Amino acid sequence: MKQTLKSPTSQQTKRLWLFGLFLLLILALFLLSLALGSVSIPLKDIWGVLIGREGVRESWVYIVQNSRLPRVLTAVLAGIALSASGLQMQTMFRNPLADPFILGINSGASLGVAIAILGSSFVGGLFLPAMSLGGEFSLVLAASLGAGLVLALILLVGRWVQNPTTLLILGLMFGHATSAVVSLLVYFSAPERIQAYSIWSFGSFSGVNWTQLNVMALVILAGVGLMALLPKGLNALLLGEDYARTMGLNVGLLRFIVLLSASVLSGAVTAFCGPIGFIGVAVPHIARNLFKTSNHKILIPAIILIGAAVSMAASLIAQLPGSQLVLPINVVTSLFGAPFVVWVVLKRKRGATSFNV
Amino acid sequence: MIADQLNLQLNAGEFVCLVGPNGVGKSTLLRTVTGLQPKLGGEILMSGKKLETYQPRELAGQVSVVLTSPISVGAMRVDELTAMGRFPFTGLFDRMSEHDWEVVHETLRVVGVEKLSHRYVHTLSDGERQKVMIARALAQEPRLLILDEPTAYLDLPGRVVVMNLLHDLASGHDKAVLTSTHDLDLALRHADRIWLMDDVGRIIQGAPEDLVLNGSFAQTFNRAGVRFDPLSGTFDSQNSGSKSVFLEGVGPEVVWTRRALHRAGFAVDEEWIPGSPRVCVMPQNDVITWQVELVGQTITFTTVYDLLQSLPK
Repeated sequence: MKQTLKSPTSQQTKRLWLFGLFLLLILALFLLSLALGSVSIPLKDIWGVLIGREGVRESWVYIVQNSRLPRVLTAVLAGIALSASGLQMQTMFRNPLADPFILGINSGASLGVAIAILGSSFVGGLFLPAMSLGGEFSLVLAASLGAGLVLALILLVGRWVQNPTTLLILGLMFGHATSAVVSLLVYFSAPERIQAYSIWSFGSFSGVNWTQLNVMALVILAGVGLMALLPKGLNALLLGEDYARTMGLNVGLLRFIVLLSASVLSGAVTAFCGPIGFIGVAVPHIARNLFKTSNHKILIPAIILIGAAVSMAASLIAQLPGSQLVLPINVVTSLFGAPFVVWVVLKRKRGATSFNV
Repeated sequence: MIADQLNLQLNAGEFVCLVGPNGVGKSTLLRTVTGLQPKLGGEILMSGKKLETYQPRELAGQVSVVLTSPISVGAMRVDELTAMGRFPFTGLFDRMSEHDWEVVHETLRVVGVEKLSHRYVHTLSDGERQKVMIARALAQEPRLLILDEPTAYLDLPGRVVVMNLLHDLASGHDKAVLTSTHDLDLALRHADRIWLMDDVGRIIQGAPEDLVLNGSFAQTFNRAGVRFDPLSGTFDSQNSGSKSVFLEGVGPEVVWTRRALHRAGFAVDEEWIPGSPRVCVMPQNDVITWQVELVGQTITFTTVYDLLQSLPK
């Protein structure tokens, strides 16, 4: 940006420092995630595993390569995807409470998974061959199909509906409808199946192996790539669709890409990790408050960094280093997230930046 | 269908105010002219070319808008927000050139918000924020600037400043400026031309004075049940003015005394009718006194309030 007075320069410098800080934080969290867990692995051995050095203890190599590394990478991808999706939803609907699942995408995914886990008791042998076909991807496929269905509905309806608020309400209703069907399935299912479904709905970064991780990375990078084309459009949407149109933007196309990107991102996370709350809502606000801007040119890189950091931190805490216990991710995000947001909100004097998008 | 048989022209260098009673369709007309709403029939030509044939970005270079509702952007600086007016000219990633920034700074200066450049938009007053939105619209370098009730949330000084600004933009910067407003008084004072819209969808064009003198104003607003007084250029109180009073004196004090008498339900006569009160306004140095002669008695007052209290109800 052109600098004419002192203020913007010092603001820019501060932001650069913040970016640097977060990069360091991410590196630290990454290493900690590999080092801590039920077993503590020394850093130099972690480095050894990463560079493929000989002589590191077998069990440690196994743990790092097959458990911790995929998990932390999953956390990074999920954190970025959720934050990116949340940011776009908040901007598009100009609603600070919007989250990645506001259009019912993860309800669709939940429906897919519910049918896969619970539905087979109804249709007997029909699902089993399909499940074995999908193999390790079966749950992911089921979730993706469900999410995809809702996404298609949203995109279709989005072309006809003028008012964003109307779209929002329709999305909420889709979500309620699919949740109702899931409840129905749960109601008529055997306890073991309900438990299996329950466990899925707690959310986890641990269930993703390398093959799945590759697919997840591809999809999420595509979604984030789409969003990265949109800083100008997203900034324009902050003023509303009318202003955006008079500034020469193709609002219909913009809306389509935003919906597509946000839904693919949130759908992918739900498909691979289960529904994970809080991160998508909170990270954009953290970014806005820390970097003191609503400008997406700064926010997009910011939420990528902050999303990765927050997600890794949550995953680390969930691992309860030193014990064998593992907490569900959703529990960690909510338990730590809610008080944090309360603290942020109460400590602000005027709160204007907190709540406006 | 809201309005029909419209034949209107907007010229560069002119400041036009669209006025009319509530609900006649002013916003709809503006939204149709800017392309935010599709037209039902007829032709809209912008610089000789049909509106529909314009690409969005092309059109954005011709016309920009300022809408009524105050925006609620979170944390954006005034210069960042104004720079959004350059969107039609910057590429996909909104890379601003030297020239783009020059336009932005010049616009901020013209609108008079240059000192606020680095302030956050949400910390500004409503009036300042609206000026920033005007700056944003101007940064688009349009030939036509359209505003929909831009002064709705402003206080009176704020409204005067905006109307002055709009007039200057038209005459001094060779733009066509069209604004809808409920501020009849300011419109009559500042507009080069008025588009007077009535409740059956007709629009009468003309200089403000023409529309007042040929009775168009009175007629349009009378239909809405309000009486427009050509003498004062304002809306009159609905009192019938059955009681008579004679007023003497010169200067602004007399004008205001007459207004007070109207409000109290008096008709001010040209000549004194015996039996009615005689009010004489006497400004002396810094003190104004009112002398009332009624039924042979003369009483002096120092405030309009006391004067009105003394007159027969």
